[in-house]
Amino acid sequence: MHDHGGGNASAHPDIGLLFDLSPLPSLILSPSWRITRASARFLNEWHLSAEACIGQELLPFVQNQLSPSPVHLKFLTTAIDDAIAARAERTSMPMNTRRSVSWRARVIPYFKGDELLAIITEWQEGPLSQLNLIKDEEVQPGLSTDEAFRILVQAVKDYAIFLLDTSGHIATWNTGAELLKGYRRDEIVGKHFSVFYGKEDLDIKKPEMELEICMRDGRVEDEGWRYRKDGSRFWANVVITAVYKDGVHVGFGKVTRDLTERKSAESRLISAYEESEKLKSDFLANMSHEIRTPMHGMLSACALLLDTTLSPRQRDIVGIMDESGQVLLQVINDILDYSKLASGSFSIHSDIVGITSIVTSVVRSVQTTLPPSVHFELFLAPDLPRSVQGDPLRYRQILHNIVGNAAKFTEKGCIRVRAGVQREDHDSYVVMTEVTDTGIGIPEVAAAGLFTPFTQFDATTTKQYKGTGLGLSIAKSLTELMGGSIGYRPNPERHGSIFWFTARFKKIKSLGQIQDWKSKLIRKGDAMLAIPEADVVSLRRELAEVAPVKSLLLVEDNIINQKVMLGLLRSLGFKNIALASNGSEAVNMVRNKPAAYDIVLMDINMPIMDGHQASRAIRDAGIRVPIVAMTAYALKGDRERCLEHGMNDYIPKPVDKKYLIKVLGKWLLHMKDYRKAFDEQMNKLRGYETLTLAPKGNMADRLQQLSLTVRDQESTPDASDKKTGEETNPLKSHGTQSSDETINIVKPTSESGYQHASSVVSSPRFEPLLPPVQPEMLDSFPDLDLQATGDIIITSTHGSHISVEAADSGGDTGTSTSGTTATTPLDPTFDSEKGSDDVAHRDPSTLQP
Amino acid sequence: MPDFGDHVDNGIFSQILEMDESDHDRDFSEPLVTNFFEQAEDTFEKMDRALAARDLNELSTLGHFLKGSSATLGFNKIRDSCQVVQQYGHKLTVDGVSEPDENICLKKIAEALQTAKVDTAELEKQMKRFFGTE
Repeated sequence: MHDHGGGNASAHPDIGLLFDLSPLPSLILSPSWRITRASARFLNEWHLSAEACIGQELLPFVQNQLSPSPVHLKFLTTAIDDAIAARAERTSMPMNTRRSVSWRARVIPYFKGDELLAIITEWQEGPLSQLNLIKDEEVQPGLSTDEAFRILVQAVKDYAIFLLDTSGHIATWNTGAELLKGYRRDEIVGKHFSVFYGKEDLDIKKPEMELEICMRDGRVEDEGWRYRKDGSRFWANVVITAVYKDGVHVGFGKVTRDLTERKSAESRLISAYEESEKLKSDFLANMSHEIRTPMHGMLSACALLLDTTLSPRQRDIVGIMDESGQVLLQVINDILDYSKLASGSFSIHSDIVGITSIVTSVVRSVQTTLPPSVHFELFLAPDLPRSVQGDPLRYRQILHNIVGNAAKFTEKGCIRVRAGVQREDHDSYVVMTEVTDTGIGIPEVAAAGLFTPFTQFDATTTKQYKGTGLGLSIAKSLTELMGGSIGYRPNPERHGSIFWFTARFKKIKSLGQIQDWKSKLIRKGDAMLAIPEADVVSLRRELAEVAPVKSLLLVEDNIINQKVMLGLLRSLGFKNIALASNGSEAVNMVRNKPAAYDIVLMDINMPIMDGHQASRAIRDAGIRVPIVAMTAYALKGDRERCLEHGMNDYIPKPVDKKYLIKVLGKWLLHMKDYRKAFDEQMNKLRGYETLTLAPKGNMADRLQQLSLTVRDQESTPDASDKKTGEETNPLKSHGTQSSDETINIVKPTSESGYQHASSVVSSPRFEPLLPPVQPEMLDSFPDLDLQATGDIIITSTHGSHISVEAADSGGDTGTSTSGTTATTPLDPTFDSEKGSDDVAHRDPSTLQP
Repeated sequence: MPDFGDHVDNGIFSQILEMDESDHDRDFSEPLVTNFFEQAEDTFEKMDRALAARDLNELSTLGHFLKGSSATLGFNKIRDSCQVVQQYGHKLTVDGVSEPDENICLKKIAEALQTAKVDTAELEKQMKRFFGTE
């Protein structure tokens, strides 16, 4: 053993000679890892002389010769340590050298008893280790990186990991893939990976698409159903990565995970969530119904009681009952609003908003509650657009809340309401509305909590001033929903408060947009019903005056309900009430006398033909009589469904008298008679066609299409005189003359709305093109409701000409009436003869109630 | 007005009584209430028949029908039972959750119908006392 390279010839060749002649480059190390002998092949391959290695410490020697990285050098030490510890042979992982080759050492320790005598290392050259780029630390000792990764991939059970060739055929298969997909390696290798996809995915060529995307982006990820060998499916997450070798595309790596569990957990979660949402909203709807119904009952009883002969003391007491009831109702409404806001189920509608008219009408309604010692000042900035897009009811609600607060807390002085545009961009305005009062003001400490729910700034005020403390927090949520904010500051001039809020409104871009909304204007009913309770009494008186000459059709299948409705209506002074007990009867009655009824009250759920169908049939016959639905449930969708079917309004059942008064008042007093209105409406449409829209031919065309498509069938004599060959084209050119011919109206024989000898039936062809809306809804605003909700504002300027402030004019036309400051002594009565025009044009003056 | 307990929504019923000529001459409300009990009896009979024929649709229609008139008069207890009949006739629970088992639906309806009959009989007695027609 210690014979250094001797050449003794003997019968048994010297073991040292055999070592020297070994075909493997080999080294013998001392137990302390010093090189004691090097084979000839080693010296040859490493280009060294024996002197250069004998006696060298192994590690510095290897370091010098191969310059491996410290990590690679460690492969060697690890292998030797392991070999010694195990007293067995070990092979190190390849150590890369600078010369683009790697060396690995096979380590063989020699023991005599427990004594280590020597270590022989045999060296093997190889290519550079492919996995050298991967972080070396991750590689476990004792395994080559290649091997480690192969084993890892092969052993993973939860992921199907396999390679595809460039055309998508499967090249490798691991245990995970076998478990997940059910194919054995020999069954699947060579098949195209699209076998995992379902028919739908195959039809849209998803597998091919995925490879394409993968080639383009480097990777693609997808979630969807994949199929196993046995045909069962699982919800998979699939990641495909393009694999390149030396810059050449060699295939795809595909990793598939089974997410079926997660998917079903997700859908369970979603359905549980939906369920709870539904329960919540049902609960809200039921609450509103259950609480409001008896409240309305109580309030109407109070109102009726106030109608009777009472001693002053009794009147006082009933007054208190009534007022408390109102407050309670408001509280309930607030809480419902608040819970809707909190649950996120509150939606903002998109509609036309007339800011000036809303502000005016809110001021007017609050004004009636003020003592004479308080007066209103109203400033509407000249740049305030007349019509914008947003939610009129919510804007009104916020403003009403703030102005109402101001009125509540102000005993003398003035309340100033100021509205103007704060900023404007290409498609929206931010409108700032500010309410200044000279009331009791707000202590500094309380200002911070003003917009917090259920907070009132002073316990003593709670007693004096009723309310939930929810109003401002509702207002805050609403402004936020409308893209604005709300705030408070003390009044700098006098004792009192300033509340301001902003709201973002979209600009109205085209006349078409307005046209679309006209169909929605029916919703003005909401605002009508918001008029103060005190007015119900006067409304009832007004109604009693016209009731004897009005003719009603009541459609109701249940005899009991019929009788009660008859009783209610008679108690309001109505005498001509026709009855129908199902929808089909009603349709026949209305068709036979198209102008006989002033209003139809329609139950929804009836045998033979229900209220929806009946209303549609009446509209299809071209009859525009107002139809009011009566239904038992005040769920949100009900109302919309009624309106969709061509009805105009809605009364929840059981019918509350006050509510009935309001609805009837609205349709019989404030709305223009449908028999007359149609006629005037058509004149106006003609008016705006010629005046305003002449330069914008396309809009005029649209308008024409929407509303004037009907050709004359039973026209008035003078109209038929004008008929020419053109008449065959319903969409022909615009202009007054042609419009005359395209409108089909039979004028009522008398101006008094009560005699209707002739019918007001328009051609059925009119219907699909103009939504089933009362024509007066398109009307200019002598109509109270248009102002009240701030619906579209069309101001009559001169004669029959109409200017529509809609298009891109931004509210700066010369005829704008909103530019005046401090408008109005607001007329507290709802005089339908007085246009807002009137109101708005009055000289600036303060408002003395 | 006497207290009918939770049988009657006083607000609504008083609105009906308002329509009488006077408190001494209940020309409107009395025949109306009488009519209602006739209607109820008639409807209950139809419900019994529909129940025997396991006709859920018909039960739902009848439930809705009587619910309408009882609600109009403010007869809440009867109304609520009718609501149950209507809902289960649609194979829904009172909360609007689907109940696919017809047998359960029929059982619930039978129970509600029984309750409605008992409540109606009780209320009829009270009403007769109130109108002095006993």
